[in-house]
This record gives sequence, C-alpha cells and structure tokens, in this order.
Amino acid sequence: MDALSWRGALWLWSPASKRSAIENILVCVVDDDESVRESLPDLLKQFGFAARSFSSAEEFLASDCVDQTRCLLLDVAMPGMTGPDLQQELIRRRQGIPIVFITADRDMIVRQRLIKQGAAECLSKPFSDTTLLEAVNSALHPK
Amino acid sequence: MNAGVGELPHPPRLPDMDVQYEQAAGEIKRLQRCINDLVSLLALPGIWTVSNPSQILHTLLDALMRMLSLDLISVRLNNPVGEAPVEIVRLAEPQGPLPSTHEMCEALSHSLADNSRKWPPLLRNLMGEGDVSIVPLPLGLQGELGIIVAAAQRTDFPRQTEALLLSVAASQASIGLQEARFRIQQKHIADELDQQVAQRTAELAAANAELQFQVGLLQHIPVAAWTLKPDGTPDFVNQVWLEYAGQTLDFVRSHPEAWMTTVHPEDREIAERNFWEGVRSGRGFAMETRFLRARDGTYRWHLNRAVVLRDAGGKVIKFVGTSTDIDDRKRAEEKLLRSEAFLSEGQRLGQVGSFSWRPTTDEITWSAEMYRIYELEIGVPVTLELIRTRVHPEDVTLIEKMKMVDQAREGGHYFEWRYRLLMPDHSIKYLHAIAHPTRDQDGQPEYVASVQDVTARRLAEEARDKAQSELANVARVMSLGALTASIAHEVNQPLSGIITNASACLRMLATDPPQVEGARETARRTIRDGNRMSDVITRLRALFGRKEPTIESVNLNEAVIEVVALSIVELQKNRVMLCPELADGLPLILGDRVQLQQVILNLLRNGSDAMSTVEDRPRRLLIRTERDEGDRVRLTVQDAGVGFDPQAADRLFDAFYTTKGDGMGIGLAVSRSIIERHHGRLWGTLNDGPGAAFSFSIPRTPEGSAHADGIHNLQAPAVAGSRAA
Repeated sequence: MDALSWRGALWLWSPASKRSAIENILVCVVDDDESVRESLPDLLKQFGFAARSFSSAEEFLASDCVDQTRCLLLDVAMPGMTGPDLQQELIRRRQGIPIVFITADRDMIVRQRLIKQGAAECLSKPFSDTTLLEAVNSALHPK
Repeated sequence: MNAGVGELPHPPRLPDMDVQYEQAAGEIKRLQRCINDLVSLLALPGIWTVSNPSQILHTLLDALMRMLSLDLISVRLNNPVGEAPVEIVRLAEPQGPLPSTHEMCEALSHSLADNSRKWPPLLRNLMGEGDVSIVPLPLGLQGELGIIVAAAQRTDFPRQTEALLLSVAASQASIGLQEARFRIQQKHIADELDQQVAQRTAELAAANAELQFQVGLLQHIPVAAWTLKPDGTPDFVNQVWLEYAGQTLDFVRSHPEAWMTTVHPEDREIAERNFWEGVRSGRGFAMETRFLRARDGTYRWHLNRAVVLRDAGGKVIKFVGTSTDIDDRKRAEEKLLRSEAFLSEGQRLGQVGSFSWRPTTDEITWSAEMYRIYELEIGVPVTLELIRTRVHPEDVTLIEKMKMVDQAREGGHYFEWRYRLLMPDHSIKYLHAIAHPTRDQDGQPEYVASVQDVTARRLAEEARDKAQSELANVARVMSLGALTASIAHEVNQPLSGIITNASACLRMLATDPPQVEGARETARRTIRDGNRMSDVITRLRALFGRKEPTIESVNLNEAVIEVVALSIVELQKNRVMLCPELADGLPLILGDRVQLQQVILNLLRNGSDAMSTVEDRPRRLLIRTERDEGDRVRLTVQDAGVGFDPQAADRLFDAFYTTKGDGMGIGLAVSRSIIERHHGRLWGTLNDGPGAAFSFSIPRTPEGSAHADGIHNLQAPAVAGSRAA
C-alpha cells in the first residue's frame, strides 16, 4: 500500500469524532428505488460523509446540492432522465462531479461503456460496504 | 190176368210172376224215363250260357212241369243287387181267380220257414180242395240264391226218381244261376270300366284343351316363355324367346339342347345342373343365367323359372316356364354391392362405423366397421347391455345420449358425442360420434350416427401437446433469460438494501457509544427487504417454475398487473411507454393463471420488440382488458411498432416462424395453444396507424364453448378448437 492509501486507510478506521475533516464531503445518492435511498445515506454517514438522496436526476439538478456535491452515487436505469443522461448533462454544465454508478444490472459491457464515458466506478448491486467505500474514495481521489 | 180170345195161349204162369213182371217192366220204364230226364237236365246248362236268370228259370220250370206232372211249381230268386226278388209260379190247371204271384210266393215262403216238408193248410185255398205235397228245393249252397217249390196233389209225390230229378234240377239251376249271376257281374264291371274309361278320356280331353288354350296364351305374354315335355325337351317356345335367341321353333324342337348354346359359358354348368335336377325330380327350377341376345351379341341376365303341370293321377304332363330379363336389376344390384363394398372399405379405412337406432322398436343396427371398432363378432345382435360391456364405465354411451336427446326433443339437428371404450385388455379407445335424427324408408323416426375411432389422433394430439408443453417450457426458460434485467432488478434491489442496511447496522453498533436507534432502524429495513426478496422469488418461481396446469378463478386484471410489474424494468429500458386500460368489473375467468400470464408476457415482449427500432414516435404499448360478447373476456396488446406482413398473417402463429434475428419464434405458437386450451382464440391485426395489435378472447367458463365433452379439456385439448384467422 502506498502512502496515500495508507492515509486513506487511517481515515477509514479512525473514530467518527476524529473525522470531522471529512464530514463536509457531500455524497449524493440519486436512485428511484426507495430502499436504496433509505439505506445508502446511513451507511455513508457511518463512513463519515455527509449524504443526501434524490429520487430522480431531475430532482437532483433542481436542488441546491449540485455545486457542493463531491461525489455522486448514481443509478443507471431510471424513468425519465437516466443515470448516463445526468452524466452527460453534468458534463455539459462543466460540473465535473465524480460519479459512481450503481446498477442492478450486471452487464459488463454497460459497465465498461460507463467508465469509458468518464465514470469513476460502476458498482453492481448488491455490493458490500467496503466495495462502496473504495469506490467513493477512488472517485474523490482519482489517481 | 187171363189171356184173351185169339191170343196165343201163354204158358201157364203163376199169378205172382205176372204181377212182379208188370211191376218190373213199369219200374224199368220209369227208370229209363228218369235217366232220360236226367240227361236232359244235365244238358240244360249248355243252353243257359247266354241266358239271363229269368230265362233260366222259365226253361227249368217248363222242363220240370213237363217231366214230373206237377200241379204247381214256383220259384223265388233272390236278387243280390237289392232289387225285388224274381218270383214265378206255374200251375198245371189254373182254377178260379188266382191271387197274385207275389201273394202266392209269400204264402209259400211263410210255410217253408223251417225248410221242411209239411202239410200247409193254406194251400188248400190255392189249389182248391185237397192237400198238396210240396218239395222245397233251395237254390245255391246255402239257399242264398232262392228257392224252388214243386207241388203235386198226388199222394205218392215225390217218388224217389222224382226227388232225384228235382234235386238234380235244383243243382243245375243253381249252377246256371250262379253262372248267369257271374256273367251279369262281369258285365257290370265291364260296363263300369267302360264308363270310367270314357270319363277319364273326357277329362283328359278337357284338360288337354285347356292346356292348349293356356299354351296359346304363352304366345302373347311379353316375356320369353316355353314349355318342356316331361323328359325336358322343349316342345314349345314363344315368339319373344325365339326373337331374343334368334332361333326358329323347328330348330328348337329338332335340337333339344340348342337352348344351352345361348347360355353364357360361365353359367352353363350351373344351368345344366339346375335344369336336369328340376326336370328329373319333377319339381321344376328357378335359376339366373346370362343369355346371348342375338340382335347385338350381348349377354343379359335372365331369371328362368319352370313349374310342373301334372294330370289328375300326378303324372307329369309338361313343364311351363318363363325367362325374364333382369339384367338391369342385376346390374343395379351389382352396383349396389360395389358401392356397399366401397362404403364398407371406406369405413374400414377411416375407422368409421355406422350406428342407427329406431326409438319405436329400440332396434340398434351396426355396420361391420362398428363391430370391428368394438372388437365384437360381426352380426351379433346389438343391445345396450352388449354396448356397456365395452364402453368405459365413467362415460355415457352413444345410445344413451341418443335416448336423452330423443326424450329432450332437441331434435332436428346434428349433435356430437365423445366417449371412451375400455377394451378387455384394458386399453382405451377414444370415439367421436356425429349423429342426427332422420326418418327411415317407412317414415319411422331413426337416429343415425357416424362413429370414428379417434384414438390414434388423440394419442398424436397428446404427444403433440406434450411436445408443445416441452416447447413452452423452453420458451419459458428463454423468456426467463430475456427477463434477466427484470429478475436481476427485482432480486438485487432488496438484496442490495439488505447488505447496505446490515453494514450500516454493524457500524452503528461499533461506535462508542453505539447508535442503537439507528441500528434498530437499519435492522428493521433489513428484515423488510428480506421478505420483499422472498416474495419476488416466490413470484418468479411461480411464473417460471415448471408446474402442472391448475384451474382456478382468475382475475385477469390482477394477472396483468403482476406481469407488468415483472417486466416494467425491461420495458422502461426499452423506453416503452406502457398504457394500461384495464376495465372495471371484469368477470373472473376459469383457467390457469400462470399459463395466461405467460401469454400476456409474450405479447408484451413482442410489442416491445416490435418497437425497438422506432425513433420518430413514442413507443406506446397499450394493454387493455374488456368484456367481449358471448360472455367472454378480451385482452389486447397494441404497439406502435413495425407491424407485420399481411401476407404472412397466418404464419405468425406457426411454430418457428420469427421475424426477430435472435428469436426462436415459438412464443406465439405456444401462446395460441394455451389460449385454445382455454377455449378461446388468439389473433393479430394491423393498426390503422403504425404497429399491430394482438388480442385473445376467452370464455368465462368452459361451458360457454360449443363442446359438450368431459372435464379433460385443459389437460388434453379439445380436438375441434376454434382457429383464429
């Protein structure tokens, strides 16, 4: 493990009270599935992030969180504006928010395409908490 | 006596000797006379050879009166024929008025009742004064011929010679009379015989005349007619026959076997046999042969019948016969036999039997094929009991069904009936009958049915259904693959939630102090998501698991909603805009929920696929449920896609027909068979605008359909299902 990730690992296991430095990092969840919107923010908060959830891409764009969002956990298939659509929109707005796609689909081809289009990561549900954290971290700190 | 003067003196004789001499001389004279008389009497029969009894008696009485110097002689001759007896009386010197001959004879016969010589006091009256000696002479061995009575007043009557003469005379008379009687009898017999002969001759002549007349008629009747002599040779042939055969009467008479040449060579042997048998036995004959028609050289069938004519004594006089042209009838018969054979063969080939029932007589008639189907001996009388030995115990027999229809007076139309036979080897035969009421040739009501053994077809259908259900399984599995996205979504969502929540829960409990409320909440969510996943899996298993069809009341709208829920993800992925229009108050359908859902799923997928290349208009997929006429429920899935080629409309539902590159083309075929098993129909139409609409219409209950079969519909399909255009 190199120095950077060692530091990341330290942050990982440090008590929440000592993580005030990362509490300001806002991670937003955009997913039309309610259980995702329920569960992910709690887990993210346990990681020490701030978290907000939105039921649609439109709702996110209409919110005031766009600028503060340091990482986006984005569902792929949504009615209306899909995940990739939102990605395109953000690029168009020159809002370079790192995106971690979360999808129920385990299609490899889709995953490659999304990463190629600039996503930081693409996770297939169900995913473990460590997988999630690593993805978020790599989105926040790209190599 | 002294010698007289001038006489030579006699030698002195003793007076005794003179007396003795005179006595002797007188005796000699008497005896000589007696012998003469005897000779005469003995000659009498010679005279009598031509005489009748009366003449005989007269002759005899004359002779006796003369010979014997009788005073009275009478004869009574019994007449055997029953006529009055002949009575003759001769008197030497009639004195005074005489009583009638008859009276006298009567008197005499009274006196002679005991046949002995007596002094009859009555004779005094006859003869005047004085007693009379009588000699009764019975005629015949027992006096049966009659009696002669000779009487004289002389006291010395009868002397020995006289008695002898009388008895000889009586014997001769007997002889003569017997002979005369015999001759008379002979004459009678001869006369009678002559009479009989004359009568017989007259009868024969009359019969002959009659015969000639009738034979004459033969000439005029419009059939070929002929007569044969008792030995079988033809003696008369009428004009009709001669014209037909092209022969003359003389030829026929001179060539007794000529008629045989007109007989068809194949029929000659039998014809000859029947002919001679009939002639020799005197019974006549009846036979069918082919005769050659001279005019055109064709052979035509004729019926030849000869009857015998006998005389009063039973002897054969003639045979009279006719030959009737039956060719047309015979050919019609042959045609009928041929067509019957065709029918029978046809029945055998098609395994179709004929069955008829007459309600009034309860008479059941089967064709040969029917017996074969039931595997019973052909010709055995058919009864309900017999039928029941073969028909499956759970099924109603055709005859029972006919009786029900007859009693219910459903009359006038065709009805179908299906039932099974349980054969002795426990195999099952499936029968399909079509029946209708009619009238027989006497105008009596009759039910007629055609019964077909459809076992082979049924077994083939069952095999096909099994193959189809295998295919359906494949389709299911394939659609399972196609719904990966949906399945993944449905399962992974709750699974993901579980992992996320559980992870959060652990972390919350690891902080110092532990975030118990948070932990509780995440734990709750975990459980909830676990149940959700379980439900999904159950639903998926229900839809894609392999199960036997279950019949239940299905709410079509609910079924649609479930299917939509399952496929929503994929539909959204394909940017399909689903527009449900589910009618309210839709009646429940009796059917298999899972199978119907498979059909709906198939239609939705097809609709979605049809729009996969559409970019210029909304990909609208309409799913609609509504009531349909005839107590049916209709479901329609309408897309705005590429539609289908109208030319290929009827191939859409064929197995392995597909327009999709990666498809196998079994979806619609399987869907149609499912719908048909629900007694419904599935069809597709092109929209006015772009795209197509596929609909199915199912009756509410199986009784809504036209079939009256048993319960085995959804497991084994009905044969005559409706096929959509």
